[in-house]
Amino acid sequence: MTRVVLDGAAAVLLLVGALQCLLGGLGVLRLPSLLSRMQAATKPQTLGLLLILAGAALRLPLDSAVTLLLVAVFQVITAPVLSQLLSRSAYRSGAVHPEILAADELADRMPREGPEPPQAP
Amino acid sequence: MTASAPRVARWLSVLWLAVVWVLLWGSFTLLTILGGVLVGVAVTALFRTATPPNPLPLRPVRLLALLGFVARDLVVSSYGVSFQTLRYGPRARGAILELPLLTSSDRVVAVIAGAYTLSPGTIVLQIDHVSGLWYIYVLGPRDARQIEEARTSALEMQRRVLSAFGTPDEIAEARRMLLGRRGAP
Repeated sequence: MTRVVLDGAAAVLLLVGALQCLLGGLGVLRLPSLLSRMQAATKPQTLGLLLILAGAALRLPLDSAVTLLLVAVFQVITAPVLSQLLSRSAYRSGAVHPEILAADELADRMPREGPEPPQAP
Repeated sequence: MTASAPRVARWLSVLWLAVVWVLLWGSFTLLTILGGVLVGVAVTALFRTATPPNPLPLRPVRLLALLGFVARDLVVSSYGVSFQTLRYGPRARGAILELPLLTSSDRVVAVIAGAYTLSPGTIVLQIDHVSGLWYIYVLGPRDARQIEEARTSALEMQRRVLSAFGTPDEIAEARRMLLGRRGAP
């Protein structure tokens, strides 16, 4: 009986997680700009991965399942760092198109185009 | 601040490294736990970090509340991004907003930026310590009202992180700022 409940819960988690990843993929196709696509590529995927890991953990022996916890923790810690670095470079290099922004309060403060001024070595 | 604070910080690092080590092995035996502690001691001895000047306050209840808020936000905002994808697709809009940064602690700023960027549909683009400003990108806002909603929710995230890690002054300032926004017509 417990087995059936666990399998059922695992199946639901895996399917919802897979759906999240699918929506993320769809977002990469449909959304218009680099910044918005990154939201779709990195974020629903984070939740999707967490759900899939949870679903997989239910079906695995405990000692394998705890290693998945490590995967989840590092995903949550590293994903924001990566997307912040990418989006900042994107803005600087002019890959963000102003016409699809409802507001841009950074425009006056950061040069949009061209590389960063060379730093003194 | 007591003289043993750096030592406490070091043992917390050892504990964290030992937990990671045990999880990597995936087995809770005396050997892996002892090995984890040994590895932790060796790593913290070999790679000494600069001792942080002030230890962050430890407020377990508020920290748990923050973790719960971030987890809930991860789910809710994921559906927000999915909605933007399905409803607007190529016609989705976004906004880049400027917000006041209420703390000067590097570590608290890092937690704010990490928590806010983890949330789907939002990214911290730039942090300006000197002027005390941070810049965010938000997917979704289409008009002035939605822009102000996005601004409020970012300030709410800042308030929640500060209530777990900030000084009493910063917490009061964050609360006052949000109250002022909600009271505004």
